[in-house]
Amino acid sequence: MADLQKIKDAIMSGKREEVTSLVQAGIDAGDNAVEILEGGMIPAMREIGDKFSRNEVYVPQMLIAARAMQAGLALIEPALVSSGHQPLGKVCIGTVKGDLHDIGKNLVAIMLKGAGYQVIDLGVNCDVNKYDEGIKQGATIIACSALLTTTMPYMKEVVEHFKDTDVKIIIGGAPVTQNYADQIGAHGYSDDANGAVKLVDVLFKKSA
Amino acid sequence: MNSKQLVLDAISGKKTERTPWVPFCGVHAASLLGVSAEEYLKSADLMIAGLNKAIALYKPDGIPVIFDLQLEAEAFGCGLHWNMDNPPSVVSHPLAGEKTRIDDLTRLSETAGRIPQVIKVIQTLRKQHPDIALYGLITGPFTLALHLLGTDIFMQMFDDTDAVHRLLDFCAETGKVMSRIMLENGCDVVAVVDPMTSQIGPDQFEEFCTDPMRKLFDYICEKGGKSSLFVCGHAQKNIEVMCDVHCDNISIDENIPLDYVRDICREKGVSFGGNMQLTVVMLLGDEATNKINALECLDIGGDTGFILSPGCDIPFAVPPENIIAAGAVAQSRDEQEIARQLASAARGPEVEKFDLVDYVEADKLKIDVITLDSLGCAPCQYMVAAAEQVAREFGPKVVVREHKVKTAEGIRMMVSLGVSNVPTLCMDKEIVFVSSIPGNKALADAMRERLRQKLKK
Repeated sequence: MADLQKIKDAIMSGKREEVTSLVQAGIDAGDNAVEILEGGMIPAMREIGDKFSRNEVYVPQMLIAARAMQAGLALIEPALVSSGHQPLGKVCIGTVKGDLHDIGKNLVAIMLKGAGYQVIDLGVNCDVNKYDEGIKQGATIIACSALLTTTMPYMKEVVEHFKDTDVKIIIGGAPVTQNYADQIGAHGYSDDANGAVKLVDVLFKKSA
Repeated sequence: MNSKQLVLDAISGKKTERTPWVPFCGVHAASLLGVSAEEYLKSADLMIAGLNKAIALYKPDGIPVIFDLQLEAEAFGCGLHWNMDNPPSVVSHPLAGEKTRIDDLTRLSETAGRIPQVIKVIQTLRKQHPDIALYGLITGPFTLALHLLGTDIFMQMFDDTDAVHRLLDFCAETGKVMSRIMLENGCDVVAVVDPMTSQIGPDQFEEFCTDPMRKLFDYICEKGGKSSLFVCGHAQKNIEVMCDVHCDNISIDENIPLDYVRDICREKGVSFGGNMQLTVVMLLGDEATNKINALECLDIGGDTGFILSPGCDIPFAVPPENIIAAGAVAQSRDEQEIARQLASAARGPEVEKFDLVDYVEADKLKIDVITLDSLGCAPCQYMVAAAEQVAREFGPKVVVREHKVKTAEGIRMMVSLGVSNVPTLCMDKEIVFVSSIPGNKALADAMRERLRQKLKK
């Protein structure tokens, strides 16, 4: 059996090559891909996310951890697909109409993937039709990002557009606040990527 | 003391007779002219006109000549996406991929990109406003590095540290060129704006940013300029290491508690500025919330080594009256007192309004003057005196009453009439004169017209 603790440690310190060789060793030994994913990889990303929230690591450390995880994931993906392994849920994410900033949006996407969710990345400059496409692909939660004070009000239009549906909208970005989320009737707000994962966890649990 | 000296003294950490007010007015000035951010940032004439309008309205002690962190990036060949109501965004990065290396980039000079236009703005503003501190804003080394290389820089900080050091040295050298241009053409303060440092922690800040920033800030000092380091976002963890880069001042936004920054800066001998809330207060709030927020900042910042300013570039569509309200609080003790009353009314249990349904009488004109206290506030005194003097012409048909917001009754009346400025004169519940004292004729005309309407009925 692959050493799950070692895989976890290697992901958290961003050691891509070490992750690759440890995961490959596991595959060669006939280990269960789901166990590698759920016992080593996802816990690593959850823990690095918690460290991020506690200001113990920052964006660069999160990014290299995610890159290391992706390297391992690529190796076990075929086995996951053939075993019928399902993600925890589907989330679509996009920066709102008029806004081309994507660093924050990408971070949230990375952390959601790392936590075991399937993420449909709609990119930047998303209008309601684009978010609709994400929902058509099976997402039940929409994550909206905005960096600009002038694009932030579009979040209200997104909330309005989906208000008579079961779709949940969560929002975030530099100018966005919990106050604003309450004002426009969004289902949640987070001020960092790890918080967004926690928010999605809660929303999926509620809908289950 | 003139405004410029006030700013320079505060930046140098000195006690000032009042806290200087520096509204970071970038593309917001375009909205004052009714033009787009793109038109504004591409035209020296529009920038000069917009800044003059902002100076006339907001009475700043200091003002940035430009707030566009894409200026250098554009000159280096980054692709820009222009916006109607925001500064442009960088959409392509020349150093991303293998094609271009640092050595291939043409060093910036006075003739690159929109720099000639900025020089014209500085020179003109300098001549027009010798007594206001002009801020030359330049892109900080880490943010410029990110513009040039893209987000790959975060990976390279682990994969190729030497390359990142070289890039940041290059960006700091660029900062020196921009600082020289700003100072030689008339700016007093160089503000190095480096928001992307909020994405890294103190260890990486020290590893990659401290040294290039020190070289840049030492250079600004050698050239005789004052300096400030602007950050925005969640940069609280970096305030201590930011204080060690030899800058004179640190300016922050609402994501960092001002008292936290004050305590660290004072310990490190660095002055500080900030941090009015950009969206909830300035963009979405009203005059009263802006006054209260300005007062909160002043109460924390004090009058030694502190500059009151918005947390960052003022959003395009902020209502001008909100900025005027904030500036007035910085510059007038009476306004501070009014803000204090507003704050206590806002904090306390909701003020119960008077029932004014039957307030208006058929044969009398009721004049209500809302004041701080006509004994202690000169404009209030003149407004009450003018109202009483003119009212005498009309005998018992006009009744004048003063309501001091220092009293519970005054606050209730202020809220009941929907007044948010002091002094304000209302006639039969209607707000007629705000802040400025009307001449006797204007006042008499207004009273006469209202009486005429009444008697007609």
